[in-house]
Amino acid sequence: MRQATRTKKPDVKVVILGDMNVGKTSLLHRYTERKFKDTISTVGGAFFLKQWGPYNISIWDTAGREQFHGLGSMYCRGAAAVILTYDVTNWQSLAELENRFLSLTDTANADCIFALVGNKADLTDPFAQEPDSESESDPQPVASCPTPPASPVQHKQVSREDAVALYARVLRYKGLDEKTCLPAERMCFETSAKTGYNVDALFETLFDLVLPSILKKRSEGEATVDLETPLEVRRTKAGCCA
Amino acid sequence: MSVKAFDLVPAVEREQVMGEKVRINIECIECCGQHLYLGTNDCFIHHFLLEEHTTAKGKLAFNAQKLLHKYLGLKKPVVELKAASALERLIVLCDSAITVVDMVTLEPVPTGGAKLKGVTAFCINENPVTGDAFCVEMAVVLARRRAVQICTVHEDRVQMLKEVTTPEQPCALSLDGYNICLALSTQYMILNYSTGASQDLFPYDCEERKPIVKRIGREEFLLAAPGGLGMFANAEGISQRAPVSWSENVIAAAVCFPYVVALDEGFVTVHSMLDQQLKQTLSFRDGQLLQDFEGKVVVASSKAVYMLVPLPLERQIQDLLASHRVEEALTLTEAAQRNIPKEKYQILHRRILQQAGFIQFGQLQFLEAKEHFRKGQLDVRELISLYPLLLPASSSFTRCHPPLHEFADLNHLTQGDQEKVQRFKRFLISYLHEVRSSDIANGFHEDVDTALLKLYAETSHESLLDLLASENACLLADSAPWLEKHHKYYALGLLYHYNGQDAAALQMWVKIVNGDLQDSTRPDLFEYVVDFLSFCSNLDLVWRHADWALQKDQKIGVQIFTKRPTSEERRGQLNADDVITYLQKHSQALLLYLEHLVLEKKLQKEKYHTHLAVLYAEKVLGLISRPSTSEEQLSAARQKLQRLLKESNLYRVQLLLGKIQDSELLLLERATLHGKLEEHDKALHVLVHQLKDSSAAEEYCSWASASQDSSYRQNLFHQLLSVYLDPDVPGGAQTVAAVDLLNRHAEVFDAVRVLKLLPEDWSLPLLRPFLCGAMRATVHARCTSQVALGLARAQNLQLLHDRLKYRGGPVLVSEKKGCQLCHNTFSEPDCACLPGGTPVHINCVAKKALDLPHENAHHSNHT
Repeated sequence: MRQATRTKKPDVKVVILGDMNVGKTSLLHRYTERKFKDTISTVGGAFFLKQWGPYNISIWDTAGREQFHGLGSMYCRGAAAVILTYDVTNWQSLAELENRFLSLTDTANADCIFALVGNKADLTDPFAQEPDSESESDPQPVASCPTPPASPVQHKQVSREDAVALYARVLRYKGLDEKTCLPAERMCFETSAKTGYNVDALFETLFDLVLPSILKKRSEGEATVDLETPLEVRRTKAGCCA
Repeated sequence: MSVKAFDLVPAVEREQVMGEKVRINIECIECCGQHLYLGTNDCFIHHFLLEEHTTAKGKLAFNAQKLLHKYLGLKKPVVELKAASALERLIVLCDSAITVVDMVTLEPVPTGGAKLKGVTAFCINENPVTGDAFCVEMAVVLARRRAVQICTVHEDRVQMLKEVTTPEQPCALSLDGYNICLALSTQYMILNYSTGASQDLFPYDCEERKPIVKRIGREEFLLAAPGGLGMFANAEGISQRAPVSWSENVIAAAVCFPYVVALDEGFVTVHSMLDQQLKQTLSFRDGQLLQDFEGKVVVASSKAVYMLVPLPLERQIQDLLASHRVEEALTLTEAAQRNIPKEKYQILHRRILQQAGFIQFGQLQFLEAKEHFRKGQLDVRELISLYPLLLPASSSFTRCHPPLHEFADLNHLTQGDQEKVQRFKRFLISYLHEVRSSDIANGFHEDVDTALLKLYAETSHESLLDLLASENACLLADSAPWLEKHHKYYALGLLYHYNGQDAAALQMWVKIVNGDLQDSTRPDLFEYVVDFLSFCSNLDLVWRHADWALQKDQKIGVQIFTKRPTSEERRGQLNADDVITYLQKHSQALLLYLEHLVLEKKLQKEKYHTHLAVLYAEKVLGLISRPSTSEEQLSAARQKLQRLLKESNLYRVQLLLGKIQDSELLLLERATLHGKLEEHDKALHVLVHQLKDSSAAEEYCSWASASQDSSYRQNLFHQLLSVYLDPDVPGGAQTVAAVDLLNRHAEVFDAVRVLKLLPEDWSLPLLRPFLCGAMRATVHARCTSQVALGLARAQNLQLLHDRLKYRGGPVLVSEKKGCQLCHNTFSEPDCACLPGGTPVHINCVAKKALDLPHENAHHSNHT
């Protein structure tokens, strides 16, 4: 994962949660590097700093494995948006969002925005199989391709209606009124990190939605310490002894 | 290849600690300046003085001199040592009790305050909240009480300030300001002992591994997380740095900005806090302790102590660059900003940017390279010098030392791959173009422009001419051979011109036009040269090349003289007589030039007008004498001649008459010449009786009288009428022409004189239009006169009326109104009247007349 060269203080935080192997890291990699890479499992977490106009948005990629479960709360603390990711060919990955990952978002901002993302749509949706015209086409090794070319699509285990229903339950869990929140149709996406299908739409929709959060934070004029700014540290130890 | 951040250097050998005893282990370390303290498992504190020195190979080494060792008398391991250097005190945790000893003598210091027993861990607050410089704050974990005590250590006492309860028994802790970061038995948390607020962080299993809690900076902590992660957390419980990936068996961790150092059973690993990348791995067996002290990292096994000496940041950055890890080097450079003075940092940063740019340049990553060159304010000659022969021969540039890159030149870079060579050259063109359009060439304009010219010439770039035609600093001595070598002769001329060598420029362009040199850049080069000469202020050059231009094309070549700007300084002025003399052998050009002088510039000199007229006449005569002349050619030439003869008043008429009088065809021209001499009888005779053109004769009369008064015009037309009516000429009187003249120009003629001239036998209907017009004019004149007379008479009557109106009215005399002179009333009806009708006494007027004898009084008597 290529890190941001300029370590600037982010204006806002976006966190990607989900079970292991649903493709969270590939999703982020597709958006930031315009490529698909078969990656090993994420260890712990990582983040990418994205410049969005005059703002810096940190996108936190987390590890979905059970042993890293407890770290999710810390990653979500102060988050303006959370992307709950599942695999459209794996019903269990959707169930885990509600069972295991939803409680981690308790530490997010009160006005946090939620998005539901069903990845690997290229396996079930013919329209998602062709690479986006703006994406680079990568040579695909045959061994790494889970589906042989021209084969019929896999069975879709999670339908869009299932995602919409979960979104409603998420809103109820957070104690939010469905009518005052963003509609489910806008916040439920189906993507393919492999082909790039709908990936840009997902991230850019979220970035537009977190903009009010950034402006509100700036207008409040929070006295936040910039950790990258050199500070004169008061030392209690003398350089030498008498 | 791993980049080194630290060197592992032995500090204290095992013999210095344990001597002959084999079961003594180091339990804890404290370092304060050059003083190193070790706590052992046999209840001893050892005090060493560490001295640094450099070996013959240039490496850092330590010499540990043992000063003292002291037995505490408790027969238990010394668990923790912390120095309070301002107090010259050492805080010791041994046998679950905290004691304070003197740093120098290691003797216990009696503390009159609280007795701290049952302690399992403690730490010093490196971000104290009290302002007392002679007081050290610390947090103490008490066993079996689920509490943390906040204490202050003074020179002679330990004082408890506050006790904070915790949900579980803490295992480890760290303190920053009011923030305590705790590792409980099942999770990490942050607790603010001033406000009482707490924040859970994440769970962990203390049975699996020992927790690590470490303050790494203001309000920031480093924690050991599940899965072998090093997690960062700030005082608000937010993770703002991505975690570093450790092994599962990490024992201890330390921070030496910008690195996180971790110790496990077999290795020391170094990660960067900036990008979370693993930077270095050192083999270290049997590691037990790892701590950081003011920029140093101390690592110890149970028997010996080593120092992890950080390599200078500049060295690390250079190593990264040598490994072509550009982004990491730049990240590290920017992180170093806090540790380096501003001026020095700026110099370092620029150099690193330049080096990074060259690395990317070598990898054909031109966009990134250009950006780094720009930000690093690269001396552009460093880049140009990579391309053979592009720098001027006169350049005194030598490459930066130590070098910014490892490349010898372009050939070394490309290894003979011509496609790569072209890509590098295109990049340099693009880069130099940007450099010269911005203002960062920093005085190296000559190097930039010369190199750019060479590249343009070599690649036949379309911008070559734009460069040479605009302001540029191309060096002539270097650029000229290069342009010749690549057959850019036209451009070479531009270069000469820009450098004030117009002679060389013209010589080059003339050769191209003549075909001696091949350059198809400018198909209209001949026209360009002519235009150039017309603006050239060096008259020697003009005379030298004019002959060549005129021989090639007289019509275009003469523009050298006819298109010169008129507002020239005196230096660039050409003498018209000299030009005329020069153009004698180029007749067409001479004609064009005289036309320019007479018709365009409208010079009022007789010699030019005469010369042009003579040339026109000779041309017409030449065309007449040539059988192949077309009617259009002759007509056009005659029209030019006629127009000049009519419009000009400056040519010598007699000379022209002498030229054309032998020709039987130029009758119209001859008439015009007679007109200029005011020999109207001769002119009209030629037109009427030789040319036999009545229209021409009438036009002649109009033209000849155009600038004269009406009587002159009338006389001229009468003269024409007389010529028509002359019975003595062959053919007799031309009655038809005369009648037509009278009828068409009736208004010009005096009817009375005409009637006297006309023969008696003419019939009246012939003259009806003329006579009607004349009669109408006469009647009109009479009516107009009568109207004028009536108007004059009416005006006279009006004036008479006005005069009578102002003659005078009655003057009233009253007893109530007095005399204006004496102000007495009137007693007699007799009075005098002043001008304006004011009555006064007669005597008063008489007195006034005596006083002012010259005043004229107006007298009148009204009764």
